[in-house]
Amino acid sequence: MSLDLFVQLLVNGLMSGGMYALVASGFTLILGVIQVFNFAQGEFYMLGAFITFGVMSTLGLPYPLAILAALAGIALLGVLFHLAVLRRTMIHGFFHTLLVTVAFGTLINQSALLSFGFREGVVSPVFPGTWLMGSIALSPGKVVVIFGAILVMVALYLFMKTKMGTAMLAATENRDVAGLQGINAERIFWVTMGVGSGLCGIAGALIVPVLSASTAMGTNVFTRSMLVVLVGGTGSMSGALLAAFLVGVLESFAFHFVGQFNLLAIFVFVAVLLFFRPGGLLGKPLPIPGQ
Amino acid sequence: MARTTKIALGIVGLLLIALPWLINPYVLQIVILTMTYSMLGLAFALSLRVGLPRFDIAAWWGVGAYTTALLMQKANMSFWLTLPIGGLMAMALGWLIFIIAIPRGMMVFLLFGMVTAMAMQQLFGSVDFFGGWGGTGVVPQPTIGSFAFAHKPELYYLGLALLALNLLTYYALYNSKIGRAWNAIGSSLKLASSVGVNVVRYRIANVLIGNFFLAVAGSYFVAYSLVAVPDSFGFQSSIFVMMYAVVGGLFHSLSGPMIGALIVTFIPEYLRVAKEYEPIITAIAMILIIVFLPMGILGLADRFRPWLLWRRRNAAKAGAESAGE
Repeated sequence: MSLDLFVQLLVNGLMSGGMYALVASGFTLILGVIQVFNFAQGEFYMLGAFITFGVMSTLGLPYPLAILAALAGIALLGVLFHLAVLRRTMIHGFFHTLLVTVAFGTLINQSALLSFGFREGVVSPVFPGTWLMGSIALSPGKVVVIFGAILVMVALYLFMKTKMGTAMLAATENRDVAGLQGINAERIFWVTMGVGSGLCGIAGALIVPVLSASTAMGTNVFTRSMLVVLVGGTGSMSGALLAAFLVGVLESFAFHFVGQFNLLAIFVFVAVLLFFRPGGLLGKPLPIPGQ
Repeated sequence: MARTTKIALGIVGLLLIALPWLINPYVLQIVILTMTYSMLGLAFALSLRVGLPRFDIAAWWGVGAYTTALLMQKANMSFWLTLPIGGLMAMALGWLIFIIAIPRGMMVFLLFGMVTAMAMQQLFGSVDFFGGWGGTGVVPQPTIGSFAFAHKPELYYLGLALLALNLLTYYALYNSKIGRAWNAIGSSLKLASSVGVNVVRYRIANVLIGNFFLAVAGSYFVAYSLVAVPDSFGFQSSIFVMMYAVVGGLFHSLSGPMIGALIVTFIPEYLRVAKEYEPIITAIAMILIIVFLPMGILGLADRFRPWLLWRRRNAAKAGAESAGE
C-alpha cells in the first residue's frame, strides 16, 4: 500500500470518525442524562445536512451561517420533541420512550424521502482545491471537517465544565439527590435534548460540503454510532470519542480491503472486543436503566 | 379457563377455519401477511417478558426464509424438512451472538440486535451465494405428495397451523416453570437472581425459542412469496414488528401482537391514502398511540373490564332478585 493511499484512507476514516463522535456523544449524553434511547439521532444528522444545503443553495447564505442555522434548527427540534412528546412518555418507562423516538425518526426519514426522494443535496465545496505534500494530495475540505469535529468536541467538553454541564452530570449520577441540591430536572432534560440533538445538527452541517446530503445518510451514521457506543462502553463520553475515531478509521481501511463487507468486518471486530472487554474500551460504563 | 372464554375461542376458531369462504382472495392475501407479522410480533413480546427489547427480528426471520429458499432451490429439499432446519439454523447462529450479548445486559443486547439486523441484510445482499440484492430466484412451492400449496386457501391453512403451533408453544411455556422464571426476570432482575433464577440462561433460552419461531415465520413467508429478497429483511421490518406489540398492548404477550398486526396491516388498506404517505401516517399514529394510549388497544379494553364485570354482576343480581319474586 502506497503512502498516499494510506493517508487518504486515514483522512477519510478520521473524517467519518469525527461524525460518529458527534452523533454518538450526543446519543450518550441523552442516554445518560434523560435515560432516553434516542433513535432519531441519525435522522437529526440527516436533517442538519439538508438544512445546511437549503440555507446555502436556496437562500445563498455563507457557510458559517448555514452551520448556525443547522445547529439552531436541530437543537430547537430536539427541545420541541422533548416538550411535546418525550416528557409525556417518560413516565411510562424506558421502552416507551425508545419506541416514540423510533417513530419520530421514521417520521423524519419518510418525510425527507417524500420531499427529496433519492436526490442528493450537493453544495459547491467551501474549501476547494487540493494541498500537495510531496506525493500526498490532501483535500482541505476533509481536514477542515476533522478539525471542526474536534473543535465541537472541545466546546462540548468546556460546556460540561460549566454550571449547567455539572448539573447535567449530577442528574446522571443520581437524579433524586440532584433534585435535593436545587437542580431543576425538567430544565436539565430539555437542555440536554437540545445539546444532544444540536451536536447532530452541527455534524450534518460539517459534512455537507464534502459528502452531499442524502436521505440515507442518517441510518448509515446511526448504525456506526451504535457500534461506537458499544466499543466505547454505553454511557462513557470519552470512550465514545476514542471509539468513534477507531471505528471510522477501521471502516475506511476495511472498505478498501473487503469492499461492501466493511460493516460485517467491524461487527465481528466489535463482537470479539466485547467478548474480551465487556465494558467497552475504557471499562466502567455509567448505570443504564433496565440492566 | 372460564366457560365464556372457551365459547369465544371456539367461535373465533370456527370463523378462522371458515375464513377463505367468507372473504375475497385479496383480503385473504392480507390476512396471510398479518399471520406472518403476528408470529414476528409474538417473538418480540416473548423477549419483552424477560425485559429484552429485540431489534434483530428481521435478521432471524431472514435466516429462516433464506434457509428454506436455498435448500429448496439448490438441494431440492422438501419444504417440511427445511422448516425445522431453518429454525435450528437461526437458533445456532443466534446462540453465537447471544452468548456474547446477553450477559452484558439489556443495552448491549439491544445495540447488538440492531447491528445484527443491518449486518445480516448486508450479508444476504452482497454474498453471491445468497443471490445478491435481487434476491434468490423463484423457489418451488411446498408440496405433499402431488398436492401443491399453490392457492391462497391452502397457504392460509398452512399459516393458520403454524400460527396455532406457535401460540400453543408460547402458551404452554408461559404457564410452565420456565414462564414463571421469565416473569420473575421481567418484573425484577435483581430479585429474580437473588432467589436463584439464572438470569442469563433463562434469557438465552427465551430468545432462542423466539429465534426458532421467527425462522419458521420466515420459511412460511417464502412458501407464499416464493422468493427471498434482502430488502424484506431490513431493519425497517424490525421496527414495524415493535409497532404491532405496542399497538396491541405490551402486557398481552399472546393476543397483543396479533391484534396489533391486524390493525396496523389493515388500517392503511382502508384509509385509501396515497401509498407514499402511508409510512408517515403510520409513524404519526404510532407517536399518538404511545403518548395517549401507552398500554395499547388491549390496555384500553383492560380499563373497561372492571366496568363490564360490575355491570354483569349487577345484571346477575337483578336476575336473581327477579327470580326470587
